[in-house]
Amino acid sequence: MILETILSVNHISKRFGKIQAVNDLSLDVKRGQIFGILGPNGSGKTTTLSVILELIKANKGDFQWFGQEPSKETRKRIGSVIESPNFFPYLSPVNNLKIVADIKDFGYEDIDRVLNLTGLYERRNTRFKTFSFGMKQRLAIASALLGNPDVLILDEPTNGLDPQGIAQIRELILSVAGQGTTIIIASHLLDEVQKICSHVAVLDKGKKLFDGKVSEVLAVSDSFELSSLKYGALKEAITQHPAFQSLTEEKHYILVYFKDPVKAEELNELFFKNGIILSHLTERKRSLEQHFLELLDDNK
Amino acid sequence: MTKLLKIEFKKILTYKIFWILIGLYFLFLSAGIAMAEFMINNMVDNTNKHLPIPIPHVVIYFFPWVWQNIAFFASIRYVLIFPAMVMIILITNEYTFKTIRQNVINGMSKAEFLASKLLLILLISVVMTVLLSIGTLILGISNTSDISLAMILEKSTFMLGFFVSILSFQIFALFFGFLFRNTGLSIALFTLYVFIAEPILYYFLKSPIVFENNISTYLPVNTVLRVTEYPAIPVLKQVMGLNLQDSVSFWACCIPLLYSALMIGVVYRILLKRDL
Repeated sequence: MILETILSVNHISKRFGKIQAVNDLSLDVKRGQIFGILGPNGSGKTTTLSVILELIKANKGDFQWFGQEPSKETRKRIGSVIESPNFFPYLSPVNNLKIVADIKDFGYEDIDRVLNLTGLYERRNTRFKTFSFGMKQRLAIASALLGNPDVLILDEPTNGLDPQGIAQIRELILSVAGQGTTIIIASHLLDEVQKICSHVAVLDKGKKLFDGKVSEVLAVSDSFELSSLKYGALKEAITQHPAFQSLTEEKHYILVYFKDPVKAEELNELFFKNGIILSHLTERKRSLEQHFLELLDDNK
Repeated sequence: MTKLLKIEFKKILTYKIFWILIGLYFLFLSAGIAMAEFMINNMVDNTNKHLPIPIPHVVIYFFPWVWQNIAFFASIRYVLIFPAMVMIILITNEYTFKTIRQNVINGMSKAEFLASKLLLILLISVVMTVLLSIGTLILGISNTSDISLAMILEKSTFMLGFFVSILSFQIFALFFGFLFRNTGLSIALFTLYVFIAEPILYYFLKSPIVFENNISTYLPVNTVLRVTEYPAIPVLKQVMGLNLQDSVSFWACCIPLLYSALMIGVVYRILLKRDL
C-alpha cells in the first residue's frame, strides 16, 4: 500500500544571523502517521514548524502540503499549536474560536465539540486572560482540532501541564490519531515521542540526525545485527526466539529487535545448536537513545 | 470582504479600550465644538476693548458655513489623534498577543490581514463622517433661520474633506503600528512626530531663509490638516487677514490619499518580507 504523502520537506535551510537554525532538512510525513520531531531546545524544531506554516521564509529549500504548493488554502486544512497559545485576552474562548472558524471558512457548530473534548466547555464564556496556563494550552489544542483538520501540528503540546493534564492531552492526541488524522509533534521529551509517535526524526543544531519508525530508531529493546551464509535458516530460527519483536533486512545483515534484553552469547549458542554459523554478530545496545541523551547532556 | 470585516468586528466588539477611546473622541469633539463659538467670542470681546467700533459677536454654526467649521474642528490633530491611537493599539495588539501569527497559521494571507485593518479604517471613517454629518445637520438647522435646501447643500463637500482627513490620518497611524509593532513605542513615536517633529520641520522649511517655496505644505500630517484649512469665520479674515477657503480642493484631498497609498504599499512589502 502506498501511503499518501501529506508533507514533503526538501532541503530546507534557515539562518538567523550567525545561527544556522535549520540545516538542509528533508522530511516526508505520510497520511496517518504520528510524526515526532525530537530534539533538544534550540535544535530547530520550532523553526522547522514555523517554516512549514509559512510564518518564516526559509533561505533555501521548499516544501509541499498534500502534494501542492503551500498557500492559505493548504493552511486551512492544518490545525496547529506553535509555542505559546495565541488568543485575544479580552475575548471568551467561544469568541476566540469563532474568529478561527471564520478564517478557516468553517461554521460555528464544531466549537462546542472541541471545547468539550478539551474540558473547557464550562468556561466557554469566561475571558481568556483569566485562564491558567494549562487551560490556555488546552484552548490552543481545541482551536487546532476545530473542524477536524487533515493534519494536526503540535509544538511541545504538554509543556506546562500537570501530570493529569499531560495524560489527558496524550490520550486526546491518540484518539484523534485513531480517526486517521496525521499528527506532527515537536518535542524535547524522548519519553513523550516514544509514548505517542509512530515515526520520528531526531534533530540537533538544525540537522536531521536520523529518522524512521519509533520502534526502530528509539527502540528501548536491544537489537542485533546478524548475518550468516544460511540466511533463510537464520531468519526462521530468530523468529522462534521468545523475546523476538521485529526484524528488518539490511544490505549485509538482518537487524533484529527484541522485547527483552538478550545476551550475545545466548544468541550465538542458540544458532550454533541449530547448525547455523554466524558470519556477523554485533550488538546495538540502545545506541540511538543513548546518542539522543548524550545530545541533551551536551546542550546543558 | 464581509468575512474580513466580520472577523474585525469580533476583535473589537468587546474590547473596552476601543470603545473608551472612541468615546473620548466624541467627548473631545463635542466639547471642542461647543467651546469654539464661546472662545472666539471671548477673543472678540478682548479685541473690542481696544477698538473704537466693536466687532459684533460671531455665529459659526449656521448654514452653509457650519459644514466647514465642524469639518475643521473635527480634523485638528488633537481630535484626530484618538482614532489614530485606536488603530495603533488594534494593530500592535496583534503583535503583542501574537494573534497575527495565529491568523496566518489558521489560513489568512498577509494581504488579507492588511486588508482587514484597512477595511476597518474605511468603515470607522465612513461611520464617523455619517455621524458628524448628522450632528452638523442638526446643529445647522437649529442655528439657521431661513433655511433653503441649496443653502444646506452648498458647502457639504467639506464632510468629504473630513472623510479624507480621518481616513488618511488613521492610515498614517497604521503605518507606524506595523512599522514598530510595539504599542508604547508606536504611540510615542507617532505623537512625537505629529505634535513635535513635523511642526518643527514645518516652520523650519517655511522660513524664507531656508527655502523660498511651499515645500512645507507637503509634509504628510500637514497635508491631512490642510484639507480643511481654516474655519469659516468672517471676523478672522478681517482681524488676521486670512484667505478663506471656499471649498474643498480636489488636489488637497489627493495628496494625503497619495501618501496613504504609499504607506500601504510600504507596509505590504514589510509584511511580506518580515518573518512573523
